[in-house]
Amino acid sequence: MVQSVPSPAPQTSIRIIGFLCNWCSYGGADTAGVCRFKQPTDLRVVRIPCTGRVDPLFVAKPLIYGVDGVLVSGCHPKDCHYAVGNLYARRRLEVLKNFLSFMGIDKRRFDYAWVSASEGQRWQQVVSDFSERIHQLGPNPLAGKGIPQPVQGPLTRAT
Amino acid sequence: MEASATTRLHQEVEASIGRLSTVLGWGAGYDPLHMTPLFVRSPEDIARLVWNPLCVQNLTGYLVKSPGVQPPEEGKKIGICVRGCDSRSLVALIQEKLISRENLYIIGIPCRGTVDIRRLMNESGLSNIRSVRIEKDLLIVDDANGAHNLPLERFLARRCLRCRHPNPVIHDVLLDEPVTPRTTAEDAYRDVESLEAQSLDQRRAFWSVELDRCLRCYACRNACPLCICQNRCIAETRDPRWLTQRVNLPEKFLYHFIHALHLAGRCTECGECERVCPMEIPVTLIKEKLNQITRDLLHYEAGLDPEAVPPLLTFNPAEAGI
Ligand code: SF4
Ligand code: SF4
Repeated sequence: MVQSVPSPAPQTSIRIIGFLCNWCSYGGADTAGVCRFKQPTDLRVVRIPCTGRVDPLFVAKPLIYGVDGVLVSGCHPKDCHYAVGNLYARRRLEVLKNFLSFMGIDKRRFDYAWVSASEGQRWQQVVSDFSERIHQLGPNPLAGKGIPQPVQGPLTRAT
Repeated sequence: MEASATTRLHQEVEASIGRLSTVLGWGAGYDPLHMTPLFVRSPEDIARLVWNPLCVQNLTGYLVKSPGVQPPEEGKKIGICVRGCDSRSLVALIQEKLISRENLYIIGIPCRGTVDIRRLMNESGLSNIRSVRIEKDLLIVDDANGAHNLPLERFLARRCLRCRHPNPVIHDVLLDEPVTPRTTAEDAYRDVESLEAQSLDQRRAFWSVELDRCLRCYACRNACPLCICQNRCIAETRDPRWLTQRVNLPEKFLYHFIHALHLAGRCTECGECERVCPMEIPVTLIKEKLNQITRDLLHYEAGLDPEAVPPLLTFNPAEAGI
């Protein structure tokens, strides 16, 4: 039976990108869906083969261009499908997290988590908490600065 | 003092040039304030070598990037003059197997600091500078009006003010007695800390103003001895296409994130990126923050141990707390 719940979708439009490992967290999100756990709707999911594939720039670029939050989630350490991908990722992402605030980007806009394919409930928790945190932070102050403006100059054609 | 160091440098290179196919050092540039990299290939060139506080370039990049030095001839080595900071670049390059120690003859120079030339040029009251040397806490500048004693601290490059390793950490021969480091490890990150004492919004405002000046000329990348991708640098490739030709603040931010993150755990704080920036953007500061993080989190200082693996190129399953 479909539960009737108030929509968790918030009023302000918030954009969150989630990079989810194919082998764990993507499955975990799927499990959460199959179990019909209530989830926030402002997460755009990008499926990745492994958190080891996550270049810290995948996180930095959206935050610089005004995305409101970025969440990376993969297999628990020592459970990586490729054995060690998430162990490399753990270091890189932790360094990145500590770095963002120095450049004036709130480090709370980024987080990473470990969620296995069977942990639907945990996924629900992680994503709800993260979404709530981003809503509290509000829109990214860098938003809008990167929208390419048409060049206005003497040769600009009137449209 | 520096004059005798130059003499010792000449003697040293004369003694070893038979075994070396090229020696990288510094020579006089287009005016007495500017020294320039010098590739010594024959004994006649040795007399052109100099060492003084205006020898500001880190030469190690020439070992790995083009246009650089030719590989050594059979049975010979490449000689290279290094200050403390440059020697750490060598260590980093050796760690990553970009150069091999066996091919190098390292002439180490204990360094008492190099001059921020822009600052010296902006100093009023000096004209036609002929020479510059360091004596204790003074920078002695000879110009058309005679000798001026200037406080050294005011004219040293920022990287030299915060230098913890003025003595080459790796060398075959040392030209001078080791000198005392100017800074302690605790003090080395004071510039990072003073920016951090500001609020998040102030920091964003600070970097927005600083980075907005960036021309994306890529001089900082080109001067960096550890930025070795050259024409595969993702700041310029069309595939993958990380950056465009557009001129806007986010692209500048992203470019600096690329440079900094690619140097995370590798940068030795040689300060070349900041020195060469035509817009005087404190770009090394960005990498200093990353180094402070890798020090605190992963207990690593770059460019000291040729056997060590840079921390982001490896992992530790047992790592707790992260
Ligand atoms: S990033 Fe700057 S300070 Fe670090 S190694 Fe490169 S040039 Fe030197
Ligand atoms: S050298 Fe300066 S202006 Fe040029 S790309 Fe680097 S930071 Fe920007």
